[in-house]
Amino acid sequence: MKQRIGVYICHCGGNISDYVDVEQLSKLIANENNVVISKDVMFACSDSNQKEMIQDIQEKQLDAIVVASCSPKLHTHTFRNVALRAGINPYNYVQVNVREQCSWAHSDTPLDATVKAYGLIRAGINRVAYSEALDNIEIKAQKAVAVIGAGVAGMRAAIELARLGNNVYLIEKEEQVGGRVAQNGKLFMTGEDGKALTQRLLDNVKSYSQINLFTKATLEKVSGSVGNFNIDVNVEGNLLKLNVGAILVTTGFDYYQPSENEYGFGQTNRVITLQEFNKLVENKSKELSFDDKPVNSIAYIYCVGNRQSKGPNRYCSRYCCTAAIHSSITAHEKFSGIKAFHFYRDIRTYGKQELLYRQSSLNGDVYLKFEEKEPPVIEVENGYPVVKVKDYLTSRKEIALKADLVVLVTGMVARSDSNSVSDKLKIPVGNDKFFNEIHPKLRPVETVINGVYIGGACQGPKNITESVQSALAGVSKINALLKKEVIELEPIVARVNKETCLWCGKCAEVCEYDAIKPLEVNGKMVAEVNVATCKGCGICAPVCPNDAIEIAEYSNHGIESMIAGFAAQAEINQTETQHEEKDENALVGMKEYPKEWKTILESFNGTPLSIPQISNMSGLAKELVTYHLMTMNRYGIVEPAGLNDEESYYLYKPKNH
Amino acid sequence: MPTINPNFAEEIKKFGAKDFNLCFNCGNCTAICSLSTNDETFPRELIRYSTLGLEDDLKSSLKPWLCYYCGECSTDCPRQANPGELMMSLRRWLTAQYDWTGLSGLLYKNLWAYILAMIAIFGAVVGISYFSEFTHSELMHIGHLFEMVAIAGVFAIILLPNIIRMWYFTIIKPGIKVNLKAYFLSLKDLLIHMFTQKRFLGCEPTRENKMRWLLHLILVIGYLSLLFTTVFLNWFSTTSNFIVWLGYIESAAIFLITILFMQKRMRKVDAMHKHSQPSDWFFVIWLFLMGFTAFMVRLLIDTQQIDSFFWVYVIHITVLAQWALIIVPFGKWTHFLYRSFAMYFDALIMAKEKK
Repeated sequence: MKQRIGVYICHCGGNISDYVDVEQLSKLIANENNVVISKDVMFACSDSNQKEMIQDIQEKQLDAIVVASCSPKLHTHTFRNVALRAGINPYNYVQVNVREQCSWAHSDTPLDATVKAYGLIRAGINRVAYSEALDNIEIKAQKAVAVIGAGVAGMRAAIELARLGNNVYLIEKEEQVGGRVAQNGKLFMTGEDGKALTQRLLDNVKSYSQINLFTKATLEKVSGSVGNFNIDVNVEGNLLKLNVGAILVTTGFDYYQPSENEYGFGQTNRVITLQEFNKLVENKSKELSFDDKPVNSIAYIYCVGNRQSKGPNRYCSRYCCTAAIHSSITAHEKFSGIKAFHFYRDIRTYGKQELLYRQSSLNGDVYLKFEEKEPPVIEVENGYPVVKVKDYLTSRKEIALKADLVVLVTGMVARSDSNSVSDKLKIPVGNDKFFNEIHPKLRPVETVINGVYIGGACQGPKNITESVQSALAGVSKINALLKKEVIELEPIVARVNKETCLWCGKCAEVCEYDAIKPLEVNGKMVAEVNVATCKGCGICAPVCPNDAIEIAEYSNHGIESMIAGFAAQAEINQTETQHEEKDENALVGMKEYPKEWKTILESFNGTPLSIPQISNMSGLAKELVTYHLMTMNRYGIVEPAGLNDEESYYLYKPKNH
Repeated sequence: MPTINPNFAEEIKKFGAKDFNLCFNCGNCTAICSLSTNDETFPRELIRYSTLGLEDDLKSSLKPWLCYYCGECSTDCPRQANPGELMMSLRRWLTAQYDWTGLSGLLYKNLWAYILAMIAIFGAVVGISYFSEFTHSELMHIGHLFEMVAIAGVFAIILLPNIIRMWYFTIIKPGIKVNLKAYFLSLKDLLIHMFTQKRFLGCEPTRENKMRWLLHLILVIGYLSLLFTTVFLNWFSTTSNFIVWLGYIESAAIFLITILFMQKRMRKVDAMHKHSQPSDWFFVIWLFLMGFTAFMVRLLIDTQQIDSFFWVYVIHITVLAQWALIIVPFGKWTHFLYRSFAMYFDALIMAKEKK
């Protein structure tokens, strides 16, 4: 139990103190048990206050501190460092959130905000009283990395990892390395040859003795945890055992394979995929021909297998627009008399790739826009495809094109065999079947499994640049992890009371990280937590029938005392606060509704209506109806009534007073 | 269902269109156009038809004639796709479509054909002059006779059938039913637009546009009245001082204004003067030559020098013949008729739609 606690309540400039009576609170808190010092401060995070806190801790010999300010996401580290600098353990510090949870959330009832803040702070004091001094967990790490998949991302990552002094095991399922890029000819933007590019990478890979490349190799079994993974690899029937500190998964993607009759695929051999078309362009020299007949007019159909409103492929692969336009330019430059027609939904040649779109327009390529609900239809006449479409750029007029070839611009999908990797490594997989990172923006290459990283297109559609970028991000994360050969982990993990544990196995069943295993201690089976894999999620604690497992910093008495602190009777005096009552409902002063409101209300005949319907009936422009409905909704004159049948518009109805 | 014509873009480029395939259909041109209305939007729609090669839709459209080429669309196009120049090229292309002889198309697309035709007429005039032994009274008589025959002939054989074809393409073929009364009531639109180009004033009312309209109006009035003065009042042979002075003023107006127009085409400052085609140059230069040589011929007559400078008359009659036999029936002159008839036909369609 901590008995010399310091409490600091922050004004946050007014963000908190405008609503929460922090001055009164700091006086009340001073009377709490074990509290030695209680202060209200303008900005707790300011340098001057941090110095003052350190001084207080040292002069008053405080053993724990509580800061009541903003969200712990913002300043936990700030104040843990203050504790460390003052000479107490960082885990003897608790942050209480009285801004997001009190002043901002209850700005309309300042007294209640103050009462809630009082409760939370007392809960925090009780919690810190039960806090323990904890040290980071240290694990010895192997300076070796397994990279799975020797495509452009995997090879590039292997080279950098080796250059930084790590041993690398590069594991490739196929006989040849290079993956999808090696299947390509000329690449967009750089104009390089895909095969040449991957060959160059392979030469580079071979020049590093630290890189062990295994082809025709598959992952058999993975055990262990961060810093110390044991991997069984099957190399052409021989089992190989590897010990690595981290794993980088760069297994890539599959091209979407059109189903039978999708845009005429399979109906005529003149409907081909973009990959087949690229091969055709590459193999022909003087004249572009197919089945010994010249090819002049080419129809490209975009978003095949992507951006579907139903099913797993709802995303956009982003690379395919540029790839198709690049193929069209290549064909135009190589052969004469080529006419290209692009049937697209939206063109996404973002960034510098926009120049390719411009070039193709200059070449005379024609773009026709369709929507998912009215896709082009391919009919076959005399063996040649005829593309029929309602062109949205020509007032949805139905237009036909006699094409010599129809090229289906297919998107990327997750590899059909990707679960053979994700199951073994326990990487979470999204609805789209691609591997999931922890946070798409902030932790884009880490997975929830410590020590397992993802890079390239196994994570989602990426072009080569983006694949290499993400793989290299993985490299820098891995290198930072393994560099010291010791890995420090947060100490907030599950721990087992070996006296009371009877090993029923329930905790191991619910653990999503496979962190709990049975262990024999003094002739009795008990649960053993692998601190390297445990995430401290706490799912095991409530299932234990004997209360034998708990999470550090979240002990049962700790939590119970927090509840007691929060629930204790509070007596707060209402003081003069800085605000006025909110404007009374403006309607009270309104003698009659504006003309447009009356018109809108007259449109309703018992059934809820959408904005276009109201616009039609009232003769008011849709923009006006939208604007007035917003205001009327705010004043409680109308209310939303769900979506219409097509789920394209919100419905509104008058609200009864 | 209309079928895409992959080769149309190349075809329309032969009529002067530039870079219109850069269009990404933003519609800025239509938004900025002062003449485009909710019922009749352009130029974007026509760029689209041209891109896809929907010839039937283009052929039945009067919209190219509803544009008076202020050039705002080209100036403000974010892709430099030159919508204004495409509209101009569509007018040339339509002229070729209306012309039953097919010669318009040939002359627009092939500069050498144009030049050869001009040379052939020059040769014919010199030949006739040679056979009449360059006696000026006889030649002037032939010249005057030619003017009347040419006007009647060109109108009856070429222009009238072409107007009927235009009517067929835009009203009959698309199946627009117009009652007879509308044909009479809308005649006023025909006359107003033919003689005043009133619609031009609908372009953004800048000083330049107003000036351009005024100069064009003076040119049209000057040209039509000079035609009347020479053909029906027999300017070169008249003894009436009033008619003589009238002719001087009219011909001077023509050659002075055409000098201004030529300057603008050379300076290439405004969008509509940036991309002059040979047909534009022939039109403005020959109009200038007509006014100027007519002025000189009458001046030589008045100063009794015509016998010594009879070649001036031969040049005048050559210019006249080239004008009447090439530029009027197959060249840019026809825009005078097609523009006003487009307004007439459009009034018919609008009258029908209002009902």
